[in-house]
Amino acid sequence: MRYICANCGYTYDPDQGDPMNDIPPGTAFADLPDNWVCPLCYAGMDTFDPLD
Amino acid sequence: MKPSVASLYQAVEIAQDIPPLLIGERSNTNGSKKFRDCLLAEDFDGCLRIGLDQEAKGAQILDLCSAYAGRDETADLTRLVKLYAESVKIPIMIDSTTPDCIEACLKLYPGRCIINSINLEDGGKTLDKVCRLAKKYGAAVVALTINVKGMAMTADEKVDTARQIYEQAVGKHGLRPQDILFDPLTFTIGAGDQSLLDAAIQTLDGIKRIKQELPGVFTVLGLSNISFGLPPASRKILNSVFLHEAVEQGLDAAIIDPGKILPLAQISEEDRTFCFDLIYNRDQGLEKSPLMRFIDHFAARVDVAEDDEAEVKRPEEALHVKIVRGDKDGIEDVLAVLLDRYPPLEIVNQILVPAMRHVGELFGKGELLLPFVLQSAEAMKKSVAWLEPHMQKVDQEEGTKILLATVQGDVHDIGKNLVDILLSNNGYKVFNIGIKVPAETIIAKARELKVDVIGLSGLLVKSAIVMQESLPQYREAGLTMPILLGGAALTSEFVATSCVPNYDAPVVYCSDAFAGLKALKDFEAGQLTATVAAPKGGQPRMKPGVKDVNIDRNHPAPEPPFYGLRHVTDIDPAKLFPYVNEQALFRGRWGYRRTASSSAEDYAELMQTTVSPLYDALKERALAEGLLQPKAAYGYFRCYSEGDTVFVETGDEVMAFEFPRQSSPPHLCITDYYRTREEGGDVAAFFVVTIGEQIAVETKKLFEADAYHDYLMLHGFSVEVTDALAEYWHEEMRRELGIAREKPSDMTGYVTQGYQGSRYGFGYPACPDLDAHKMLFKLLEPEAIGVTLTETMEMVPEVSTSAIIAHHPQAKYFAV
Repeated sequence: MRYICANCGYTYDPDQGDPMNDIPPGTAFADLPDNWVCPLCYAGMDTFDPLD
Repeated sequence: MKPSVASLYQAVEIAQDIPPLLIGERSNTNGSKKFRDCLLAEDFDGCLRIGLDQEAKGAQILDLCSAYAGRDETADLTRLVKLYAESVKIPIMIDSTTPDCIEACLKLYPGRCIINSINLEDGGKTLDKVCRLAKKYGAAVVALTINVKGMAMTADEKVDTARQIYEQAVGKHGLRPQDILFDPLTFTIGAGDQSLLDAAIQTLDGIKRIKQELPGVFTVLGLSNISFGLPPASRKILNSVFLHEAVEQGLDAAIIDPGKILPLAQISEEDRTFCFDLIYNRDQGLEKSPLMRFIDHFAARVDVAEDDEAEVKRPEEALHVKIVRGDKDGIEDVLAVLLDRYPPLEIVNQILVPAMRHVGELFGKGELLLPFVLQSAEAMKKSVAWLEPHMQKVDQEEGTKILLATVQGDVHDIGKNLVDILLSNNGYKVFNIGIKVPAETIIAKARELKVDVIGLSGLLVKSAIVMQESLPQYREAGLTMPILLGGAALTSEFVATSCVPNYDAPVVYCSDAFAGLKALKDFEAGQLTATVAAPKGGQPRMKPGVKDVNIDRNHPAPEPPFYGLRHVTDIDPAKLFPYVNEQALFRGRWGYRRTASSSAEDYAELMQTTVSPLYDALKERALAEGLLQPKAAYGYFRCYSEGDTVFVETGDEVMAFEFPRQSSPPHLCITDYYRTREEGGDVAAFFVVTIGEQIAVETKKLFEADAYHDYLMLHGFSVEVTDALAEYWHEEMRRELGIAREKPSDMTGYVTQGYQGSRYGFGYPACPDLDAHKMLFKLLEPEAIGVTLTETMEMVPEVSTSAIIAHHPQAKYFAV
């Protein structure tokens, strides 16, 4: 499932991972490290809403 | 003869062989919308039909109430009493607290009825009058356990109050014990209110002890209050189980809708267990509270027999519902009814504040969104404002006091104002002393106002530093109250490690306004402690950004259409809307998040039915009223980089813009995207844009008018339209530089910088320092478009933004 940052609109797509944070493709949102932040606006994980 | 009441047609014993005596509650303007509508339409036959229906459903007595603000209670009730006396077989209960009205009814009624009700709230003046009437006309009375201090919450208080009433009614006025039905009051255990966890136990205990200690009297309960706040289907079950338990303790009569009570035998063992756990507050060693287990268990139940009256409650409930729903319409009518029954402060403390607490809890559980919370706060504000003229001024001196300020150098006040709204509407005394407040002023005010807690707010990265560095000043000033910190740039780690050690009393990080509310509750409970860093892991947050260190040094500088500055004042505001980041606006600024319990479809519906219409209306209004006056001051300048500085050439002068460099790999600095003099030099572009102060003025007006919801909406809109203007103008400048190529196809393309180059806002993570504004303003002279700087280098109006633009294809966002 994709998640969207409520602060800036960035979408985390597990199929793509997050290169800006060195997160490989195939990483589910729930499996992101606790200190992961939005790669665009640096908001924490609790700022993300489920999208699908 | 056994104690009885009687109509023209029949006598009914109060102590039924199979208790309880059922008193139908629906012939009540405050309990039944249908009844009220009939009365307002002067359809007295319609009112009568509701009574007859209650009789048919098994009521043995009918409660009859016509109190409604703006109507003549005595005229209405005497007319109804006559009608009911002729047409209804069962006796009635006269539900009024006005002695004159009660007497007019007693004179008319051809039987023995019950008066509902007396209490000791005013010390006994009204009670004396009504008891004399009861004696004179031979009526029975319902007595609520309310005294001058308010509603009795504990069994001890209930028994004490009952005893005081007993002494007056029996001792002084000569009523017989059997003439009194004590109502020890029921409070809801369905709203999660921590102070009411044992409310059912106290009520049950109260029933038992009143019966034991005051022999001969009867007991009665307005039962349905117990489940207030829960879904209808589960209410019916909880009410029925609670009624059974109350009868076990000696309850003689219940005021209920007889059609909504189930025999215990019809309730499964399993259902009963969940009810018992909730009634008796049994945790059963489980992590989830009895209430949460109850809600989960009954979540899927639907009551098919639910009729259209389910929505309408007693006035106490009606007010609670109005607050929770943020429904201001007609709230004065409900308050007027309640003001006849309770002192205003009690309405605030016993109904309004718990309702707002419930709202906060619903928000905490993700069941209520911020805009709806603000609507509740508006309803709260309106209620308190309506009650205020009836309150004594001393009331204001009580309670926890908090001082709120946005720290020095920061003009942002939405966060602080949301805290103000939430706290002041939860019964706290808030002193909101504004923005850009120096520590010295905060300290002086905190002393002068004798506040219990200080709350500091600030959006900027710099504000976090201001908080950290000013805390020793608070300590040296000898302040001892806790300090709450809130703001976008703060994290709990930062507060724990960099702020807490600088002050002796607790320094507490509050992630949002609700965390502030929780902190104040903790403070009142003596449990407020300083924020601590996450115990394990405690890893610093990731620092995302470009990882590319091999920046192409030979990328050619584009040719700008001109060198120097220009001012543009004729930007069409309608052109900005396609650039608005709607996700950020709806979810981030407005708080229309998708909650844990809602599906993608639910969310789409919320968007379609609520959010999009709101947004469309705002856009329309903004254009029609000229609230948006977008302007830009921008320019292109020859430049070259040298280390961490970009030297910008303007006329004869060279300005040195120094930027910070990342302290950890890949050690980026904005200057890396500009060629050095040796490499041939480069072009730097800058802008300052604003949507004009008009919208900021309108926003402020809304806050001052307590239009909280609209305030949040317009503020969020103005912030995102400002960003849209930056996005739009950045694109215009890319076009002028000949590097625009294809536009990103959607907003996501802009969010992820799917274009050439980057724009770095001053005050943002790649260049957090606002001091560069001083030179930028010399460079672009944005005073000509109405933007000025504060002494701390922030732009005014707030709806302005500035940036340095890099054209280099590898330039993207990063944080230092």
